[in-house]
Amino acid sequence: MYSDLLHALPDVFAWTNFAAVVIGVIAGIVVGAMPGLSATMAISVLVPFTFGLEPLVALGLMAGIYNGAMYGGAIPAVLLRIPGTPAAVATTFDGYPMAQKGEGGFALQVAVVSSSIGGIASAFALMLLAPPLSKVTLLFGPSEVFWVAVFGLASIIFLLGGNPIKGLISACFGVFVSVIGSDPIYGNDRFTFGQLEMLDGINIVILLVGLYALPPVIDLLETPLKTDGVNSSKLGTEPIWKALPRMKYWKTWLRGSLLGIWIGILPGAGGSMAAFMSYNEARRTSKNPEKWGEGEPEGVAAAEVANNADTASALIPALTLGIPGTAVAAVMLGGLLVHGLQPGPMLFRDNPDIVFGFMWQFLFGAILLVLLGGSLATNSFARLLNLPRPLLGSVIIVLMLIGVYSIHGRMFDVYLMLGFGAIGWVMDRLKFPLPPVVLGLILGGFAEENLRLALRIGRGDPMVLFQNTTSLILVALTVAVVVGPTLKKRFIDSRKKA
Amino acid sequence: MKTPLTALALALTATAAFAEYPDKPVEVVVGYSAGGGTDVMARTVAQFLEQELGDGASVVVKNMPGAGGQIGFTEVSEAAPDGYTLGTFNLPAALALTKDRAADYDLDSFTYLANFVEDPNTITVAATSKFETLGELLDAAKADPGAITLGLSSLGGNDHFAANMMQEASGAEFTLVPFKGASNARTAIMGGHVAAGTMTLGQTSNFPDDLRVLAVLADERSAFRPDVPTAKELGYDVQMSSLRGIVAPAGLDEATTEQLLRALSAVNENPDFQAMMAEQGNPIAFMAGDDFAETAAKQDGIAAQIWAETPWK
Repeated sequence: MYSDLLHALPDVFAWTNFAAVVIGVIAGIVVGAMPGLSATMAISVLVPFTFGLEPLVALGLMAGIYNGAMYGGAIPAVLLRIPGTPAAVATTFDGYPMAQKGEGGFALQVAVVSSSIGGIASAFALMLLAPPLSKVTLLFGPSEVFWVAVFGLASIIFLLGGNPIKGLISACFGVFVSVIGSDPIYGNDRFTFGQLEMLDGINIVILLVGLYALPPVIDLLETPLKTDGVNSSKLGTEPIWKALPRMKYWKTWLRGSLLGIWIGILPGAGGSMAAFMSYNEARRTSKNPEKWGEGEPEGVAAAEVANNADTASALIPALTLGIPGTAVAAVMLGGLLVHGLQPGPMLFRDNPDIVFGFMWQFLFGAILLVLLGGSLATNSFARLLNLPRPLLGSVIIVLMLIGVYSIHGRMFDVYLMLGFGAIGWVMDRLKFPLPPVVLGLILGGFAEENLRLALRIGRGDPMVLFQNTTSLILVALTVAVVVGPTLKKRFIDSRKKA
Repeated sequence: MKTPLTALALALTATAAFAEYPDKPVEVVVGYSAGGGTDVMARTVAQFLEQELGDGASVVVKNMPGAGGQIGFTEVSEAAPDGYTLGTFNLPAALALTKDRAADYDLDSFTYLANFVEDPNTITVAATSKFETLGELLDAAKADPGAITLGLSSLGGNDHFAANMMQEASGAEFTLVPFKGASNARTAIMGGHVAAGTMTLGQTSNFPDDLRVLAVLADERSAFRPDVPTAKELGYDVQMSSLRGIVAPAGLDEATTEQLLRALSAVNENPDFQAMMAEQGNPIAFMAGDDFAETAAKQDGIAAQIWAETPWK
């Protein structure tokens, strides 16, 4: 197998194939940076056009876009508190406070370096460990996946800090949105009001754009005369090699990479969950957890390393089993099928040059990210903040409308997005956390579908959910997440008394 | 399609009057997203259909995914029958949709042009399963009704109908577990989360070391897997498959129908097309015009019967 890996290398350096990766990374950063445009959308728009392209040109574009967009999402997350992609939500926690303190440039550099490291780690996992890691995926049946989803939801509600009751209400709202559409087993309509457009449920991008992009735009326009020029002039555009020595996040990078790779190979969860988990863990183990959320660069590193570390690893179950680990991997699978590349073990035997070439492209995409992303972000996008606020706000609104409309090409989704925007604005004002809504929508559907499958397999007996080691470990982790913070607080209190 | 009547129709097609068709792009509506099996077939057919229609004709694929294909099927059924809107058609899925919900189309809403792909269903277990034959699996399912879980891609599709027909023919009772898509069902079989499953032969073909195909639900053994017996050989007369073809809206005039039928037949006979389909793992089963319409009517009957006896929602 490793000889196949080397054999595939020369093709990757054919200039068309390499240019595809470069173009893909740049396009990905741009797409990721636009609120409303996501990697999923960019790649699904691309897939039909790749029918006539050479496989490695098509796949190189896709690998580049995926890597680029996962970082690009950080740009508006840092500068405007608007995550460009669902996976960049956790980047807003510390990235935006950094930008407000005038460290936006450094935040973007931390983001690009961390993204690149995560991507490189993930590419290596894909290249070297795909077959054994796919065996891990096989361990996860319906009851295990259900517990992964419950664990993810519990983490976001109880670990993010703030008010757990408000977090729970936010998560419930997200789960409610996940219920809209036809039910996963029988296909009965739920809350669709007879609209064919609602039958497939609510697309995550519609919710994300509404909840996250509209409230900051309203804020921008509320004080139209203020400009952010003060901040952007202090963006700190020192060259990236000068900024590098200030980044000493090896533990966070390692932990985030492993978490991202791990979550990528599990069906369904994807980059946003990876970023949250990595952020939580990094904060929990840090020396100054109270500073997190106020502009701690390591928070940006934790989120960004993890959301890129699941990119290539999400392709492991996609390539070996045909089940994509993320929504982006799902559309990439379509890109493979267009070229007659059917997932499964035979893919590695029949088309090793293409499959392993694709893996190399992932690696080079991740490496190129540092070179292309650093200058692109700090030299162009960051200048956006010099725009007068009314102009910036209207540009963002236009991008939001275009992005949401282009998902399915229908106005219905735009109205839906504006509705979510109104809800998001109210929630923001009442200090309800927004991340649990996003994860509630992503994980709620998985939890429901897999719970119902597991119960069918167990012929209605709920004990089926506790019947094997993997499930029990996940149950234990969930319990630890829920009661852990309370216990710790009591422990500290009792020591203070003593 | 070699009846004297069609030959007559071919002869009568006044070339002069219809030489203009197609004078603008022909659209093929696909009810699924780009990159799926149906989409890839549509793009392959479109590419060769352009050549066959000649005169710089342009055939473009338009993806209208959603509601299990319903949005696309509805679009085709409601389009003008002028030959400029065609669509992919999946059997039995497209017609099963008309049973379990209020769809805006039915069997008679289409002009059936040509079916290209037929992929037979199978009964499959993991390579490590204790069940070596179909008989052993069915015996276990009879001994303890419902104890054997059977993974499938969804309710109301060919997998579900195959499972139902198999249960009826054998008297065995399975617990049906409808996953979201065949890949998830296949992974659950390989991971031992369900005891067995039904999926098409094409969906098993890339996992020869991980899966054991116990039987093919077809009239004859498949050329792709001649070692696998048919259920019929084993005493259960069950046939179910997934078909993919091209339709037009109902009411397409005879001349255009003939022109398209001729072009689609020529596509099928093109060795390059055959090679490309084989590379994609698509077993070709070409049926044109009336044969295709007859199959659709038969599938419609099966779906109606299963819906009446055991409604799935």
